[in-house]
Amino acid sequence: MTISESDASLVDSTGTDTIVELRDTSVSFGMDRGESRVLNEVNIDIERNEILGVIGESGSGKSMFASALLDAVPAPGTTTGDVIYHPEDGDPVDVTGLSKSELKQFRWEEISMVFQGAMSSFNPVRSVRTHFVETLSAHDYDVDAGIERAKDLLEDLYLEPERMLESYPHELSGGMKQRVLIALSLVLEPEMLVMDEPTAALDLLMQQSIISLLNEIQEKHDLTIVFITHDLPLVADLSDRLAVLYAFEFAEIGPADEILERPAHPYTRALLNATPNLSAPLEQMRPIEGESPDPVNIPPGCSYHPRCPLADEQCKSIDPGPYDAGDSRNHDVYCHHWEQSIDDLERAFTESNSDDSPATRNASHSDDAEPLVSLEDVEVQFGSENDGWLDFGESDVVTAVDGISFDIYENDVVVLVGESGCGKTTLGKTAVGLQRPTDGTIEYKDRDIWKGSSGSSTLEDEEIRRALQIVHQDPGSSLNSHQRVRSILSTPLNRWHPDLDGNDRRERILAMLEYVGISPPEDYIERYPHQLSGGEKQRVALIRAMLVNPDLILADEAVSALDVSLRVSIMDLMIELQDAFDTSFLSVSHDLSNARYLAEKTGGRIGVMYLGELVEIGSAEQIIQNPQHPYTQALRWATPELEQDDDPDENPIRTIDVPDQKNMPSGCRYHTRCPDARETCRTQKPELVDLSNEDGVQRTACFRVDDDHEYWDSEPITDDAVDGDEDDDHVNVSG
Amino acid sequence: MKRSEDTNQFDGRTSDGLDSGGDLETKPDSVEDILRSDGGTVDSPFERTATVEETRRDRIDRKLKDYLWTPWSIMRNDWRAIVGVSILVVYLLIGTVGVYLIDPTHPTHGESLVGPFEDWSHPLGTDQSGQDILSMTVYSTVPILQMMGAGALFTIVLGTGFGLVSGYKGGMVDTVLSSITDVFINIPGLPLVIVLSVLLEPEHPALVGVLLAAAAWAGLARAIRSQVLTLRGEAFVEASRAMDVPTISLLRKEILPHLMPYIVVNLVNAARRIIFAAVALYFLGILPYSDANWGVMLESAYRAGAVYRPDAIHWLLVPMIAISGISIGLVLLGQSLDRVFNPRARARHERSDDGKGSEPESEPNTTNVTQM
Amino acid sequence: MDWRIRRLGQSVFTVWAVMTLTFVLTRFMPGNPIDYFLVEVGPDLDDPAQAYEMAELYMNINPEDPLYIEYYDYMTAFMQGDLGRSMSMNMPVEEVLAIAIPWTLFVMSWAVFLGFTAGIAIGAVMAYWEGGKFDTALTGYATIITSIPFYVLALVLLTIFAYRLNWFPTGGRQPEGVEPGFNFLYLTGIVHHAMLPVFSMFVTSGMAALTMRGNSIRVLGSDYLRVARLRGLSDPTIAIHYVARNAILPMYTGLMIAIGSMFGGAVVLEEIFVYRGMGWYLIEAVRARDYPLMMGAFTVITIAVVIALLIADLTYGKIDPRAGGENREAF
Repeated sequence: MTISESDASLVDSTGTDTIVELRDTSVSFGMDRGESRVLNEVNIDIERNEILGVIGESGSGKSMFASALLDAVPAPGTTTGDVIYHPEDGDPVDVTGLSKSELKQFRWEEISMVFQGAMSSFNPVRSVRTHFVETLSAHDYDVDAGIERAKDLLEDLYLEPERMLESYPHELSGGMKQRVLIALSLVLEPEMLVMDEPTAALDLLMQQSIISLLNEIQEKHDLTIVFITHDLPLVADLSDRLAVLYAFEFAEIGPADEILERPAHPYTRALLNATPNLSAPLEQMRPIEGESPDPVNIPPGCSYHPRCPLADEQCKSIDPGPYDAGDSRNHDVYCHHWEQSIDDLERAFTESNSDDSPATRNASHSDDAEPLVSLEDVEVQFGSENDGWLDFGESDVVTAVDGISFDIYENDVVVLVGESGCGKTTLGKTAVGLQRPTDGTIEYKDRDIWKGSSGSSTLEDEEIRRALQIVHQDPGSSLNSHQRVRSILSTPLNRWHPDLDGNDRRERILAMLEYVGISPPEDYIERYPHQLSGGEKQRVALIRAMLVNPDLILADEAVSALDVSLRVSIMDLMIELQDAFDTSFLSVSHDLSNARYLAEKTGGRIGVMYLGELVEIGSAEQIIQNPQHPYTQALRWATPELEQDDDPDENPIRTIDVPDQKNMPSGCRYHTRCPDARETCRTQKPELVDLSNEDGVQRTACFRVDDDHEYWDSEPITDDAVDGDEDDDHVNVSG
Repeated sequence: MKRSEDTNQFDGRTSDGLDSGGDLETKPDSVEDILRSDGGTVDSPFERTATVEETRRDRIDRKLKDYLWTPWSIMRNDWRAIVGVSILVVYLLIGTVGVYLIDPTHPTHGESLVGPFEDWSHPLGTDQSGQDILSMTVYSTVPILQMMGAGALFTIVLGTGFGLVSGYKGGMVDTVLSSITDVFINIPGLPLVIVLSVLLEPEHPALVGVLLAAAAWAGLARAIRSQVLTLRGEAFVEASRAMDVPTISLLRKEILPHLMPYIVVNLVNAARRIIFAAVALYFLGILPYSDANWGVMLESAYRAGAVYRPDAIHWLLVPMIAISGISIGLVLLGQSLDRVFNPRARARHERSDDGKGSEPESEPNTTNVTQM
Repeated sequence: MDWRIRRLGQSVFTVWAVMTLTFVLTRFMPGNPIDYFLVEVGPDLDDPAQAYEMAELYMNINPEDPLYIEYYDYMTAFMQGDLGRSMSMNMPVEEVLAIAIPWTLFVMSWAVFLGFTAGIAIGAVMAYWEGGKFDTALTGYATIITSIPFYVLALVLLTIFAYRLNWFPTGGRQPEGVEPGFNFLYLTGIVHHAMLPVFSMFVTSGMAALTMRGNSIRVLGSDYLRVARLRGLSDPTIAIHYVARNAILPMYTGLMIAIGSMFGGAVVLEEIFVYRGMGWYLIEAVRARDYPLMMGAFTVITIAVVIALLIADLTYGKIDPRAGGENREAF
């Protein structure tokens, strides 16, 4: 391939102008088990005014890389090797050799950092303004001028400066905090900004909005940005160059488009294939086998060799140095067989393709099939009850789910997507009888599931209770940390197979563990959850639900907390178990790529929720390829793609922040953010319209799908009319 | 991939397998039916039954390991646990064996106010009326231990019960129970106990202990309630609810283990507070008594002016040391106990038997934080 | 706004519940004061029926009335500040207590204040040198000092500093032979008399220090502290506005519990130091079987604690911006 024009200009503009160079930089911690190297002699040149994306799974050393750039490794850790900073004018500075006061000046004035947890990066008892003021005065900057600059920055990040400055951190939503933190890190006008997973905890739309803001800010302030993330697609479009970290070393560094199109390292290639996205064919997506190595016990030679299909004896003993790969000068790859990798690996994948891989199924139900679970006008409100005696206050009612109806069939898969706070999890829990609706009915095989139940938490009918199960979001809390795997998995057996004795239970559990690929099961059965990896925990949670023989399982963000490379394998397992057990899945996800993978592979549907309402539902193909609702289109826009797009689309939402749930917008709830909103949307509420055709089922709640609607005659809503009063306030109800 | 090979076994299944799932409870006699299979898939992991019997012996071994050896191996590595347990064992021995070894005393048993270590028939000396102080101290251990046991147990049962029920049940039950708890939290403990003891005049040590617990349970109930509120929202509790695990076993198996460190630490602290309060009440002369105990000894020594009489100071010091000693034992035990229930510590100590390396102990000691 | 009203309502409810409790105790418990009047005092009187009048005079309860009238009378009398009449002092209970309250408050507030200040300072220093010699030594010391009951410490202090060394008076609450009022001798005399009781209460600082140590260590490991360091804030700013403030805030609840338990502790201390405060009168009333005074003292101590907790809770909102509302357990 040849260097594209944009790439050539990039090389020209940056030239050899390096801002930070790392030479044999290591970070190590002394532990009882031996020295733990969490960054292992890495070399990289970061160029001025570039955006460098650093990709790494959890435990790859990416946070340590970020800290090393500022010589800010937490206490017992030590940084060795050179970190050299080149100011625009002046002599190079060795960052690790700076004195305490020099370091204090260097950090934040030259290089500043945005941390992973914006939530916990602020002092909870000080106002946002104080954070700015103290930073400015600590560096002897003029406070008034600094505050003005802060206001400009906040304004650029679509925040109301005055209101932000007067707020306390807990009053802001996650997205707001993250943007304020970015402003805080830029207030001293640093040359370089290091961002460590700055968007990990945020919603898709917010994530993408921040990413596009970063582009503007980078240009406006001539910044160098190092963006560190586990989410490859997120930075694919943003970055000029990409660096892939594996096992505390760089596997590959090079121009973004080249890495995406012609990855030279087998790991990069596997990672690309493992990443769910919207455009790649499903057959190409496959998990990476094996697990990342322990920092104490890194394999000799190439650290990827135990998982690499190309590994030979050379890889096991000789550490691969950087090879110049590809056509561009600055594409380094740390693999002995990079040429072979480019040529052969695609084939290796194609071959294994034919092995197994459950073929894409078609929807297993027809329209006239009997629904398994049927939701009718379900409404769930929170906070209506006064929670204690002598409650004189106004009760703040939040309607989490507002009048939703849909059916789930046997062997069906429905994935609900939406931003956090849209009520998707509440709706899911309502559907499986874990949350009592305040209005409407849920029927399981034509029986009202709440019939005869007095409490708000228990279903009277045992059979229905058994039929509806849940698998949770966070593998950390889905298993009781005080129980061993054996007793965790015994619970459903004790309850539903009381005839089995202890030996039978044990045997059954061992068999199940082995079935989902946890081996040796005899070892795992005695473990506590903290001794399992994230993927193993999620597998155990899946088995636990399956041991009850349910008809419908709510999978609440079942893969969101996992590493990218594990997601596909867990979703494949879910699909496989669904086949084996004839269950249906109601899945909840904030990630459209995951939703697409699960729904398209099973021929299921995707439902899009916004502020408690179902705005669009349809087959995966229709929702992804042909979204009709503007909100679905926005989600589609916000889902990062694995390719460089030279002409990024305009942000399709008018305001970044979600409206206050205690004060829902009238009419169509999306009208405050919708780019196509007109006056009609403000007053009238659209109903779901059936648009199903031969391509698939699809129902959409938007006036725009009806060519004759009065919508087309009404005035478009302009931004000044809604801004200020609508896009305010934080959202305090989570999904 | 191992998994994918097994997939084929299930492809033959039709949806009637699903329907038979509804009949699960009606045919518990045959394992095959329970397992919702169409037959022919004998090797399926979902219907595997045991081939190797685990003997009763194995099971007992496992229980012993869980409940005795693991806690022991955790505690023996902690000097606080060893010292604390030793101190308490000494007090227990005094209270059980000691009373058979040492004769009870009576007025004019010896001369008045013999100093300690002067006359070996009265190693710790005598009081003003000539009673042997060692004997009095030993015999007071019995009622004190009874008070401590009864009071601490009652505090824990009441506090945990109130907290568990109001936290898990919620709604009206919670409103009523937490209002009661709030009232008791606001009432200062010692004055309440004083008023109650004046009216009730309890004599039996165990009854005194229970009465003293009236002032101590509310704080625990409040704390347990808020922990249960958090726990009941946890994913694993919700999953158990979805599996229709009965409430009682859900509370016992899912929620209680998480509260255990807290409860045990509080048990120890409650025991300490009960002793403090009991001795204080005897010292103030509010509780009626027939036999001597440390509080009574303190009171008579104080009344006899031991604070300014050098020849009587041992009369005051011995009960003071007795109280402080058991209290230090309890504090040390309390500080070390929460680790016993920590699954990480448990796993680590199990594995250390196999000779594998251990993780660094990074968890800070949080016991002190919870005490305030 | 609403949580404050709610919190106030909760306090009112508590006071009502305590009043009702004392009524029930007074009226129904075995060995209750009304029976005492009827069974013990009555037969000795010339006219046994007079016992009913005495009961009404001392306890505001006329046992001849229907129950709801008794309750109503009892409560209305209380509302009007009438707590009955002390039998041993032969004056209204509220007057006896009005004299005693300031003394108890004086000693208690100093004890709480000094104990927590010292505890916070020591705990912060311990956390700063976590694991060092100072920390280890003080942790051990604090563990032992909190193991000793405060009254045992009080007795030791009394023996050493009052009887042996004669540095402090052995009892009493004010200097003798000095005219009460705002003169130097009297005021120093008061402080002098309060020293030992205050110092005996000092043991709470051991607990406060351990808590402060734990909280500080937690804050020291927090993300926002790391960010603050990277932002180059000065060490004093970080120490005061970041570590100290965030470590002290959670201790506020501990402080409130301390207030409650100190009022209980006051009973014992005032007896040991013959310090005529509320606790001393409570014990005197118990000894003299002066039920009106006993119940009155109990009620007033409870109300004092309720008010202290209410004030503490309402002011908490001023120091912690997050306070107020459902996030926090209303104490």
